[in-house]
Amino acid sequence: MKDHQTGKSLIIGIASLLVFLTIWELVCRKGLIEPLFLPAPSKVLSRAVKMIDNGQLIAHTLASTRRVMVGFMVSSLVAIPFGIFLGSFGFFRAVFDPFISLLRPLPSMSWIPLSLLWLGITETQKYAIVFMGSFAPSLLYIIEATKNIDPLLIRAARNLGASRVDVMREVILPGSLPQIIAGLKVMLGIAWTCIISAELVAARQGLGFMIMNGKEYFQTDTVLLGMVMISITVLIIDVIFRRFERRLLPWTQ
Amino acid sequence: MKKWWKRGLIAVAVLMTAGFSMGAYAQPEKVTVVYGGSSWLGHYPAWVGIEKGLFKKHGLGVLFQNFYASSGRMGSLVAGDVDVASTGCISAIALMAAGTKAFMAFGTQDSYATVEGIIAKEDIKDGKALKGKRLAAPFASSAHVLVLDILAQNNLDPEKDLTLINLKVNEMPAALRSGEIDACAAWTPHFNKLLHMPGHHLLVDDTQFSLYQEYRIGPGPDLLVVRTEFAQQYPNTCRAFVKGYFEAVDLLTHDPEACAEVLVKLTHLSMADQMAVLRDITWIPGNQQKALMIEPGEFVTGMQQLARFLVKHGQIDNVPHVKDWIAERLVP
Repeated sequence: MKDHQTGKSLIIGIASLLVFLTIWELVCRKGLIEPLFLPAPSKVLSRAVKMIDNGQLIAHTLASTRRVMVGFMVSSLVAIPFGIFLGSFGFFRAVFDPFISLLRPLPSMSWIPLSLLWLGITETQKYAIVFMGSFAPSLLYIIEATKNIDPLLIRAARNLGASRVDVMREVILPGSLPQIIAGLKVMLGIAWTCIISAELVAARQGLGFMIMNGKEYFQTDTVLLGMVMISITVLIIDVIFRRFERRLLPWTQ
Repeated sequence: MKKWWKRGLIAVAVLMTAGFSMGAYAQPEKVTVVYGGSSWLGHYPAWVGIEKGLFKKHGLGVLFQNFYASSGRMGSLVAGDVDVASTGCISAIALMAAGTKAFMAFGTQDSYATVEGIIAKEDIKDGKALKGKRLAAPFASSAHVLVLDILAQNNLDPEKDLTLINLKVNEMPAALRSGEIDACAAWTPHFNKLLHMPGHHLLVDDTQFSLYQEYRIGPGPDLLVVRTEFAQQYPNTCRAFVKGYFEAVDLLTHDPEACAEVLVKLTHLSMADQMAVLRDITWIPGNQQKALMIEPGEFVTGMQQLARFLVKHGQIDNVPHVKDWIAERLVP
């Protein structure tokens, strides 16, 4: 029954996308919109074919994926243990709260000048931009996920003689993991939004670079293709992430 | 009878004077023109025209709107937020290649071949020595075009023979100092600062650009452009703007010191540095514009070659017919 529902939703989704693309194509072909402002989907497609042909599209996509994944993974590796720690201990949460509040609203772009001074025009600087753009929000997600564990469960475990480490391993981690994973999925999307900032300086490859360079030459089809590629890449990574989630958290299925 | 005849003669004279004045100084239909500029030297005439009241003299107010890059300025012009602008030719050619007729060109105001170039470490003696080095240039700019040309002249492949880094001009001094790059292509005022960095020297400037040697056109010369719809709706306003603009060009040529006094407010340079920049520019007066833009139109021919160059180096997709974008009626 559920599979039938999913299949139906998929067909409706594909149909609505096709209708949208057809209307868009027709509007452009009728000359209702100047191609400079909005190129037809067929033009974006032919740009994609051209860039696949010369290998540029794959190279740009792989360069950005590597930057996002490295920045995001480092951010997650730091944020998960630190977030669980802060979520479990109110005192330390209070100590770090002002700093997290200060970091949280900073857009990734604001880190460009400092990251350039600290790390130069290296790849590390680009990873750092993704890291800074995704670290504080990830941390907040993880703190909230940890805080939301029912205190009764923790007390019950303690009463049954569980040590702090046991409580962490047997109660807090399994209890907060579904929410942490859900948060990380959202954060992966946010990490991708940092790619434009990351590739703004000293990049000659990547989807962010491709978009910005296309903008300089008024190649709106290239700009749109870059945007579409970011969305497609995020969708693919999301599917992989879901499979990983199913293996890691079989009890949530 | 004699009195009547005299009065008639005076009346005719007054009417004729008024008629001529109307023809020469027809009142602008719109009193405020939005100009797209920046602190780049190509915008000096517009700034001087505003500060020295030259536009006001023709019944015009000009609002100077700052943009960081030519692409942003041209994008705003096409979108209808800017009426008149000066732009680097590359942006204009890229827009022409995109097929939009939303703008027209009516002049070129300056030549600055010696204030843009490639600055390299002293051990890099010539273009060939760039092989294996790290060379920075802001992509999609005139400096980038110069780099591509110099590399081609020296049979160097930008993809294989060296590391070409996309870097903004203002980020170059730190990168050069830290040794992250070995050479960089920049324009004034950063160009002058980079040139004075110890251990570095000028490798090439725009005069080595292949099209400069043949057509006297640099890798990204300045071009004056107007929004097509604006030019059609307000022809007198455009004429008044062109008049005021080229009066400012004349003032920059004949009295640079007086102009520098007002330009420092735009550029934030010291008076001495401002004068040094002004000395490096050759201003092109209004009476030379027809020869450059229409007949024989050597500047337009040069632009056409530049468009071919951009296609050859994979920067744009097709070669536009540049002449189709010249607003001949506005060329002074």
